[in-house]
This record gives sequence, structure tokens and C-alpha cells, in this order.
Amino acid sequence: MQLNPLTLRKLKRFKDIKLGYYSAITLLVLIVFSLLAELVINDRALFISYNGEWHFPTYTDVELGANYGLTGTEAVIPVDYRNLAEHFEGTENTVIMPLIPWGPYSNDTSEGVLKAQGPDFERKHYLGTDTTGRDVLARLVYGFRTAIFFAIAFTVLTYLIGVSIGCAMGYFGGTFDLLFQRVIEIWSNIPFLYMVIIVFSVIPSTFAIGTRITILLLIMVLFGWTGLTYYMRTETYKEKARDYTAAALVLGAGTARVLFRHILPNTISTMITFVPFTVVSAITAITALDFLGWGLPPPTPSIGELLKQGTANLTTAPWIVTSAFVALVFVLAVVTFIGEAVREAFDPRKFTIYR
Amino acid sequence: MYRLYSELSHGWHTLLAVSTLFLLSACGGADAPTAEESAAADADFESRKAAMLAHMQNHFDTEYSLPPAVQEAMERGEISADEIKQRAAAGEFQKFFQFKTPADIPADLTWENGMDLPDVGSDQATKGGTLYLSLSDFPRTLRRLGPDSNGSFRTWILDDTSMRFAQRHPTDTSIDSNGNFRYHPGIAEAWAMSEDRKTVYVRINPAAEFSDGMPITSDDMMFTFYFYHQPFIQAPWYNNNFKRNYTAITKYDTHTFSLTLPEAKPNVIGRALELEPMPMHFFYEFGEDYVERYQWEFVPTSGPYVLTPDNLKKGRSVTLLRNKDWWAKDLKYWRNRFNVDRINLTIIRDAAKTFEAFKKGEISFASVSLPEYFYEKLPASDPLVANGLVHRAVFYNDAPRPTYGLWINSGRPLLNNQDVRVGINYATNFQKVIDEYFRGDYTRMRTSADGYGEFTHPTLTARPFDVEKALASFAKAGFVERGPDGVLVNANGERLSFTLTTGYEALKDTLTILREEALNAGLELRLEVLDGTASWKKIQEKQHDIAFSAFNVGPEMYPRYWETYHSVNAYDVPWLPDGSVNPDRELKPQTNNLQSIANRELDQRIEAYRASDSVEEMQRLAFEMEEILYEDGSFVPGFVIPFMRVAYWRWFKWPENFHVKIANSATDGHLFWIDQALEEETRKARRSGQTFEVVDKVYDRYKTD
Repeated sequence: MQLNPLTLRKLKRFKDIKLGYYSAITLLVLIVFSLLAELVINDRALFISYNGEWHFPTYTDVELGANYGLTGTEAVIPVDYRNLAEHFEGTENTVIMPLIPWGPYSNDTSEGVLKAQGPDFERKHYLGTDTTGRDVLARLVYGFRTAIFFAIAFTVLTYLIGVSIGCAMGYFGGTFDLLFQRVIEIWSNIPFLYMVIIVFSVIPSTFAIGTRITILLLIMVLFGWTGLTYYMRTETYKEKARDYTAAALVLGAGTARVLFRHILPNTISTMITFVPFTVVSAITAITALDFLGWGLPPPTPSIGELLKQGTANLTTAPWIVTSAFVALVFVLAVVTFIGEAVREAFDPRKFTIYR
Repeated sequence: MYRLYSELSHGWHTLLAVSTLFLLSACGGADAPTAEESAAADADFESRKAAMLAHMQNHFDTEYSLPPAVQEAMERGEISADEIKQRAAAGEFQKFFQFKTPADIPADLTWENGMDLPDVGSDQATKGGTLYLSLSDFPRTLRRLGPDSNGSFRTWILDDTSMRFAQRHPTDTSIDSNGNFRYHPGIAEAWAMSEDRKTVYVRINPAAEFSDGMPITSDDMMFTFYFYHQPFIQAPWYNNNFKRNYTAITKYDTHTFSLTLPEAKPNVIGRALELEPMPMHFFYEFGEDYVERYQWEFVPTSGPYVLTPDNLKKGRSVTLLRNKDWWAKDLKYWRNRFNVDRINLTIIRDAAKTFEAFKKGEISFASVSLPEYFYEKLPASDPLVANGLVHRAVFYNDAPRPTYGLWINSGRPLLNNQDVRVGINYATNFQKVIDEYFRGDYTRMRTSADGYGEFTHPTLTARPFDVEKALASFAKAGFVERGPDGVLVNANGERLSFTLTTGYEALKDTLTILREEALNAGLELRLEVLDGTASWKKIQEKQHDIAFSAFNVGPEMYPRYWETYHSVNAYDVPWLPDGSVNPDRELKPQTNNLQSIANRELDQRIEAYRASDSVEEMQRLAFEMEEILYEDGSFVPGFVIPFMRVAYWRWFKWPENFHVKIANSATDGHLFWIDQALEEETRKARRSGQTFEVVDKVYDRYKTD
């Protein structure tokens, strides 16, 4: 791929800003890790050798106990892989569990009671459990995965809408600009969080969790795109007045070509500096919603829900709030560092004689 | 009377949404009115008073007591109001409000006064001190009925602190030879029952007065019925109940009246004695604008605590003061109770914060009924308990208890299949919740009518968690195959998946456990945790699949079935004239039939039960109905909490047995008192580190199995 030399210089500069660069690598690793979380933190076995046959149940359909020779009630219910090793004892069959053999939904009792337990390396609850005995680390990782992909999707969608409308406003100007500015002014004065709460509260919970997350995303996007239009509009206004735009027009380029080939690439450096901050605000928003109990439906794992549990059990189970808080601060800090680095690397003052 | 029960322990908590602060308009500070203004205000008051009295007189003249059948026909629109008027003019119906003379009272009545029962309060009690408690929300009104009045605040101006004509004795729960509970006098000094057991005569204690010093008379009771009959009070339950369940009220003299009832049910006197009169003199401006006009008016009470406007701090706190001249303060059954001088209720919205405030000594009691509190947040090893500053009490009570369980709406698709409902019963692992989450402290509910003594079915129990039986039952309904996620799927590709709605944020965790367990049986429960108001509304609109909820049940003698199980409360037109199922019927909103049960056999028994005068017959019918309900499987009995656990600061003192048998909250009946010297000593000890004897007691005198 042939990159613009200007872009190469920006990338190089980004690489030179160590804090941002390593933050970006950390975040990438985290995202990849969360994508593969099922292989590391899961209540399903990684590998089972049963009667000479190999099974890899991580991503398969739910298996019933009968598949592995369990009898009685255990034969007709989904397999509890953790107990399978015990069942296989003395036979040639083997079962290998992931490093942390707990899913985000599995309840584990301590002394026969479901309660918050502190970090316990023997039971492999490295960060302890929440109030119903679910592994905090598992819930954090799966919660992070939802939050980060939610934030990425949110960013992509708001940029799509914000950039197109802002660009159109700046390029066409006139009545279109005037009208849309008024619309945006009104729209952006609607308190965003309240609207999300109100709209989301009337969505029937008969929808599957995935659908509900999508709806939440769309509602947030609906109220989240306006901020970008201001920057995009002014940028477009400015670029439109430049000579190269005039030259392109004189050469007979159409609207689409001028917009996509000339104006957009020249505004993108401004836009890109906002990306990490949009991600941060999306993560914060979804965490806040979950914290208030208006976000993802229970028992979906989420950082906000953990924070809520943690603050309610501040003295009795401090590990919940500590884990959730540290994780949230870490993620937000990493994204912010990336943002700062991107902003600095893409700072146009270093590369242009205009302005 | 049923009300939604919305939190563990602590009495009637009901339907409190996040309220807007500053509901009160700023008042006070105005200059004194001029003579002209006050004259005009007086004239206005006089005209409104005249209008109210005329309206009441008209109601007295035109209200007839209609037989239940006629009344129901009228409600359905089969008989017009004009027709009723004509038939009444022809002398077919009696007047509802009757005025007679003392000579009309039958001479052969046996008057009772309930004075032979043990006293309620402790003779050790002393007066004084302040009780500090919290409210999760500022009260939305001070009205006793109408919109928003059924919130948790009603405990403080109604349930726990008002007086009735007579009150059920809270410890002697035996039944006398007339089939009544034992009553001790309140506002009444004596009462009697007619030969046919349908009329109850009540003689008001001449000393009885409202907190503003006005005497309580029969006229107040006549007014009360007029009041309850008015549609503009916006309390349909009152409108219906005080027409349907009473046939007449008769005034004999200033202090004697009688109430006549359509059926001679067991404990018939309770229907008359457990009422409380409203002060007529306070409501001279009563009219169409009742809901707004009386929104923030404290109604003079027959009870010991009063609220003055300057003790109502908008959005912050409410303080009730003890009426030191309360007329009943030295009466047997009422003395040595209601001991604290002030009750300060602060608004603290967050439960965790409330508990911290308790631990700091800013709140006097805390409910530790939830195991999380009893074992984790305030365990016996907590310094406060171990140093004897805070005492803990586990008190076993004995009364009908809130019906926590899953209410399955059988009017919904798939759930209308009995096999699916029975399968859900077997797939619900309440026992695990009880054993592992509630640590075995609670017990499994057997039927929705537990705790009614001889009216409770002796052998029925809840279906246990049993995956194989659940799968067999689901298989009967066509759910055989498991989908890729382990949830059962039928031949049409429909998943065995239902929404489980609840308004109990505090009990959310129990549902996540039920959900995980149900998945073993191939049943998916999608949780929907709403706030109390939203959830109750959804359930009342019959929009729920399955609801996790509970009715708080008053300490009545026998369970009610009509409200919750009769088909008229399930569908608008449940049956066609020929008795077959109406295919176009629609679910009927705003009733307590949460299961949408419509069963002809059940209906017949409910009607017979309602009309029955005989204990044996009602008992037999109750058992038969419970068996039908068990077969139907639309209620999954949850758990009952057989005790209340209270943590309180050391300076609070309690009677020897801690509480009365039918107590349902620590403040019920106000039996505690404050030792002010101890309070000072303890507050000092917090700073000095002095320790005291540990008190961590179990009171199991009323424990049942």
C-alpha cells in the first residue's frame, strides 16, 4: 500500500510519542485478547478426549451430559465441564479447562453460600467474586468486550452521520446550512442521558440481549452525532475556499469528486484527533447507564454494573469496586493517551504553512 | 385489603417512583390578611361548607343499598340508573344511610368490650426521646387516599399510628365462639353483633377525640362512608368496597351506629371494627377538587402522632410529634406504647447510604432481614455489635406473609399451555436460592395462602426443582429439541423463552440464579428489572409474561380468592352466554388476577366461598380451590421470611418478648421506648471506646415450622 508521505510522517511522529504508541499497542492487545476471551476465561472446556474422540467445545452448540457418558439428571442438562474431570478420573478420558474456568454467568458457592468472596487463587477467582458468586475477572473481561465494541461501533456511526451532514452543510451552505444548524441546535439541546433512559425504558424486554444492545447503540448515536458537525462544517467551509478546490472545480470535477477526493482527505486529520475522545465518552456513557441501572439488561456483564455492586458493598467486598474502578480508569487512560498522541502527531501546524 | 408489597420488611412500602423535589409550592411569609380579605375568605368557606353539606345530604337521601347481583348488573350497564331510581321509589331497596333512635337498638344484644385480654405495651416503658428513621423518597401527598397515597409514608400517618374502632389483639390470635378474632377497644368502647351475624353495632367512647380536640361521633362515620363513595376521591377500590361489601350504615345517637353487611362471613365484626372515621369538621371544603385541595393537609388523627406544616421540610425530612394530650394515652392496650416524643424521618434515597447512616448513629433501627446485611454488613463480629453499641434481634412472627413468587400470565401465548406452566414450576429452583443465597434462613412457600391457620391447605407443597420432570412436562407441550444455546425449541421453531419482570431491585440477584438454573431445563428467563412503579404498572396492564412480585397480606382470618382468581378479573368478557370460552376476550387490566386465570369451576367455588356463612364450607372450598390452582400451575410459590431481623442502637428498649405475634415491622404498634440516660452514655462511649454487654438475641416464641 502506498501511503501519502505526509501520512507516513504523521505515523512516524505518533510512533515517536512513546506513551501513546505503547498505549495503542496495549489497547490492541486488550481488544484481541477480549475477542479470544472464550479460550482463556470460560466455563466450557478447551479440549476433551472422550473414548478416543477429540472434542473442542468452546465454540460449539450446548452439549448435554449424555454426550460424555453422564447419567441420571446430569445426562439431560448442559454439561458442567468443571466437574467432568472428576467424572473422568480413573479412565483414559481427559478434559482441559481454560486458565480461568469461570464464565461470566456461572455462580460459585463458597461454603455452600452464594456471596462475594475475596480473591482466591485456589478456586481460580483471581479478582474474587461478586455478590452472587460470579467471577469478577470474567465479568470484567466480557464487560470490557461489550463496552469497547459498543464504543467503536458508536464512533463509526456518529462519524458517518456527523461527517456527512457537517460536510454537506459546509459545502452547500446557504439555506441548507441555515436549516440544519437550527435543527442541530434544537436537537443537541435535548438532554442526551435522559433521552436514552426514557426511550430505552419503553423498549420491550422481549427482544434478545443483542437486539437490545443494538437499540441502545442506535439511540445513543441518534443523540450523539451533532457535536461533530460543527467542526466538520467549519473545516469544509475553509477547504472549499482554498485554491485547490477552485482548481478542481475549474477542471470540471463533480460535487462528489470534490468532496471525496479533495475536501474530505484534507479535513480528516482534524477529525481523527477526536476519535479517541469519542470512544472515551461512549465507554463512559454506557458505564454510567449501567451504573444507573438503565443500560444493558441483567445478567449481561458490564463494568458499570460491577461498579454499582461495588459501591453498594464498599466495606464488605472492596475487591469488586477496586477491580472495576482500576479497570475502567486503565482503559479510559489508555484511550486518552492514544488520543493525546494522535492529536500531537496530526497537529497540522507542523506540516503546513497555512494558518 | 391487598396492596403491592415492594420491599423486604418495613411494613407497607408501596409504589414510590423518583419524585420531583419541591412538590410543595413555597408557602408562608405572606402578610397578615386584611379584615376584608379574611371576611371574603370566611364567606367563601361558608359557601363551600354549605355546598358540601347539601351534597352529603343529597347522597344520604339518594343512595340505596343494592344487592350485589343488582350492583354488578349495573356496573356492566345492564340496568340503568333511572331504572334503579324507579325501583327504589317503588320501595324495592333500602336506603344505605339510615337514621334511627336509640330505641331501635335491639335490647337483647350482647355487648362486648374486649377488656379481658392481656395488655399490649410494657409497663417498663418511659416516654421521651427521638426516633430517627429514613424514607427512600419524600412523600408525594399527605392525603390518606387517592393518587399517590399508597406509598410507604402511609405507615406514619395511617397504618401504624392511627386508631380504629377496635383492633385485633396482636398476640391473642384465637377465634371466639362466634367465629371472630379477639378485638381490643380503640375508638369504640363496646360492640355487639346481631343474631343473624350481619349487623355490627358500635358504641364510640365518649372521650374519643381527634388530634385537633374535636370529639369523634357517629356523624364522622356517616361522613366517612359518604366520603368513600365519591368518585372524585380517585380511589376506585374504596368506591367499590364500601358499596359492595356493606349494605347500610345506621346512626342511633351521637355515639352509636351500626353497619350492615351482605354476608355473614367469619370474623364479620372485623369489617366494622377495623374502620377508622374521618373528621367531618376538617372536610367542610370537600368537593371535586379534593385531590389537589387536600394534597398537603394533615388530617386530624385519632392516633398519637401529629404532623404540623413547619415539620415538613420539602424533599428533606418529615418530623412527627407525639400529642401529649392524646385522649387514649392511659387506656388499657394503648398505654406504654407510642413512647418517643419525636419521629424524625430523613430522606435518604440510597439503601447503602441509609445503612451507613445507621452505623454512624444517625438512624435508630435498620432492617437486617436480608442475609447480606445480617452476615456481611453487620455480622456479630462487627465492632458495633461486638462492643455492645448496637443490638441485634431476630424475631419470629406468625401471620400471613407476603406472597413472593412467580406469577405466570396464562393469558399469553405458550404460557396458556398448562404443561408449559407446570414445567416452569419444576424448572424454578427456589430451593437453591433459599439454601445458597438466603443461607437457609428463609423457607419455601407452599401455596399462595400460607399462614391462614385452618384455612391453609394441610398437604399441598410447591413443586420441587426437578429437571427431568420439567423436561417431561415441556415435552408434552411439544418442546423436545434443544436449540444451539440449550434452550428448548418446538416444531414451529418457537423458543421456550419468557420475560421475567420484577420491580424488586434488591432481589434481582435471586432472579439471576433462577435464570441460570432454568437454563438447565432448557427454559430461558429474560430478566427485566424495572423500578417499582413501572413494574407494577406493567403487571397491572397484564403485559407481563412472568412477574416476580408479592402481595402484602393483612392479618385476616381467611384468604381472598375473588380479587386474584375470578375470571371477571382476568378478561373483559370471559365467557359467551352459553358458557363456552369467548374467543374474542381481552385481558382485563388493573385487577389483581395476575395469572389471568379463568376457570369456571374455580369461579363457582369463589362465588360460593364469597357468599358462604359457614366456616366448614369455606374451608372445604378453600382447599378445593387451592387444588385447582395447584393443577393450573400458574403460580410458582417462592419463599417466605418467617422472621424480622432488626439491628437497633443500645438505648432502645423493647418488651420482654420483643414484639407481638403478628408484627410485620419493628415499628408496628410502637412498643419500644428510649432510655435517654443510656443514649447519652452510648454516644459518649463511641468516642471513648467504652464497651458494653453484647445483645444479639433470637426471640422464637412465635416460631412455627
